[in-house]
Amino acid sequence: MDFDESPEDAAFRGEALAWLAENASRRGPVTANAVADDPAHVARCKKWQATLADAGWAAIAWPAAYGGRGATSRHQSLFNEEQSKFDVSTGVFAVGLGMAGPTLIAHGTEEQKDRFLPPLLRGDEVWCQLFSEPGAGSDLAGLSTRAELDGNDFVVNGQKVWTSGAQHSDWAILLARTDFDQAKHKGLTYFVLDMRSPGIEVRPLRQINGVAHFNEVFLTDVRVPAANVLGEVNGGWGVALTTLANERNFIGGGTSSIGFANIVDRARASGRTNDPLVRQELAEAFTRFEVLRFIGYRIQTAFAQGRVPGAEASILKLLYSRHVERNGNLGVDVEGAAGMLSGADAPDDGLWQQQFLTQWAMRIGGGTDEVQRNVVGERVLGLPAEPRPDKYAPFRELVRN
Amino acid sequence: MDFDFSDEQVAVRDLAAQIFTGHATVDRIKQIEAGNERIDRDLWAALATANLLGIALPEEDGGSGLGLMSLCLVLQEQGRRLAPVPLLPTIALGALPIAEFGTVEQRSTWLPRVISGEAILTAALDEADSIDPAAPRVIASAGGRLSGSKVVVPAGHIADRVLVPASTPDGVTVFVVDPSADGVTIDVVDTTDHQRAAHITFVNAPTEATLGRAGDGAAVVRWILDRGLVGLAAIQLGVADEAIRLAAEYTSGRLQFGKPLSTFQGVSLRAADAYIDASAMNVTLWQAAWRIDEGLDASREVAIAKWWAADGGERVVHATQHLHGGMGADVDYPVHRYFLWGKQIADSLGGASKQLARIGADIADAYR
Repeated sequence: MDFDESPEDAAFRGEALAWLAENASRRGPVTANAVADDPAHVARCKKWQATLADAGWAAIAWPAAYGGRGATSRHQSLFNEEQSKFDVSTGVFAVGLGMAGPTLIAHGTEEQKDRFLPPLLRGDEVWCQLFSEPGAGSDLAGLSTRAELDGNDFVVNGQKVWTSGAQHSDWAILLARTDFDQAKHKGLTYFVLDMRSPGIEVRPLRQINGVAHFNEVFLTDVRVPAANVLGEVNGGWGVALTTLANERNFIGGGTSSIGFANIVDRARASGRTNDPLVRQELAEAFTRFEVLRFIGYRIQTAFAQGRVPGAEASILKLLYSRHVERNGNLGVDVEGAAGMLSGADAPDDGLWQQQFLTQWAMRIGGGTDEVQRNVVGERVLGLPAEPRPDKYAPFRELVRN
Repeated sequence: MDFDFSDEQVAVRDLAAQIFTGHATVDRIKQIEAGNERIDRDLWAALATANLLGIALPEEDGGSGLGLMSLCLVLQEQGRRLAPVPLLPTIALGALPIAEFGTVEQRSTWLPRVISGEAILTAALDEADSIDPAAPRVIASAGGRLSGSKVVVPAGHIADRVLVPASTPDGVTVFVVDPSADGVTIDVVDTTDHQRAAHITFVNAPTEATLGRAGDGAAVVRWILDRGLVGLAAIQLGVADEAIRLAAEYTSGRLQFGKPLSTFQGVSLRAADAYIDASAMNVTLWQAAWRIDEGLDASREVAIAKWWAADGGERVVHATQHLHGGMGADVDYPVHRYFLWGKQIADSLGGASKQLARIGADIADAYR
């Protein structure tokens, strides 16, 4: 065992830092606008992603054959750690790089990879994920958006929800039901969908943190060429599992723009660092940052050694969502009476309020805390799975919303 | 012992419930949130017409003399419907203190106008750098002129008069201040619960009078604070009760994996824990309010009630928000407001740790 970074990793980190210092400016104080989803933010992300691609830093863990650096996801996370110190963002490519890309690499045909991976990697095309529906959240396989074959196309009808960045997207990964007579997990097909197709309507949802990051997406007689099926028809669930595992890794390994130093700075600015209760909270926060850092490294190391982390991703996501909640609470609590303020009237331009209010996205999105605990219970502890009468009956016969 | 409310109290509660339910619909609240004042003036007038604004004020001042418990019943119904009216600041922080400490003239000037809905009052208790409202950094000169600032004053942007504790050479004194006077600056600020408040800055600002005797202000502030804390606990109980009801309804109606969400133990156990928290909030609130109405010492009980309101209340609204899944984050769905109110109330007039410190100090004194 060795908790220290290897000389090779340290060298890689140094190389990344040197390149970043030449090509980006250091991040100033963190601001509440860091999660803004406006077109200017999209443009900034695109420009930076192209810069990364030109220099060979885009998609560090992807195979070189698809334009990646051919390194490991540990290298990607080393790079992300350094990148988080600079005033740049790749946020709008979260779904593309973190979920759609790895799924295409694992399940796509050579033609699909050639068509979609290069523009994704360069940041020319933005992707979103059309999975959740009003009636299918935790029970994703219970979705009822329908795709019916008509000639060489599938015709899609249904409604999706909680779609991050749909308003900026060029392409989507879509999960739809192609067979209502099979059991729920067996009648699903995974598609790649052109978001400019006729029949797609995107409506933004305004959220509790003041941002309209999520959308409802209505699909009415949308035609998708059969060539855009990813994997097999009715084999979509297996493909989706690749996407979901990557999503957990992505959320759990998130390099938040908030660091421990930001929390200490806030406590100091509010004059609370002599309060023993606040000091205890700060100490707990510090230990959380450390635990998350090392569990993250453990997962990356497992990847590097050729093992596929399974339940660790659930553990990390669970810890991370709790971490975000506690940090948001702490930031607001140390502000005292000013913690009651919101928006621009609040300290640090409302940053901590926004952190506090954004915790919900973490605890719900990518599988709720309860779903992750079930994964840990069943796959790590080996507890018997809950009886699931809905799992085997034809989907058509199930009680649904 | 008798834990039932009297017929009179039940009538007050039912009347309040009827008025708040009739006025504070989700659409109306959205409309108020889009406005400037963030106050529902129509509802305020309806409360006055129903004689609910004077419910806790003395009969000799034109009120109903039904005590703090009756006010808490009204506040609980307000919390249930998240009704945007300045009930707590006007009554608990303004009118009750004037009824208790005011001169005959102060009482006859302000209380009838509060009861009729014409006057809005508040007290400016929080400061940025002082943790004890009874030891203010705002200072008053010998001539009663104020300097310094108070923060996040509830209803401070619309109040006709503000009670302001200040340190004077003779000790702490509570002053009655006309916020439109020269030397008083009102900064309107947005708060977590989508309402508004004010930072108030005094630069050699005039005061109208003292409330109570000069130098007796620390005791007056503690008296006001206790009514404020109990009132907040009452609103929080209404918020928590209704949030739990909404979560139970939502999780029972939503099917996942072929059955209602509420039949999963991860969901039902969390909902049950929230209900237990609300039960503790309930008993501690009424114990504190009852002791105050009976004229008994309630120092520890008030802090216990507010601690449960802050700590238990926050736990309840976290749970109900979480049990609504993504719907909790969508502002077009009403449940998020319960979360925002729950957090705001928890932090108002001192959060959970401040109450624990107060209880701890009280216990240490008692066993010294």
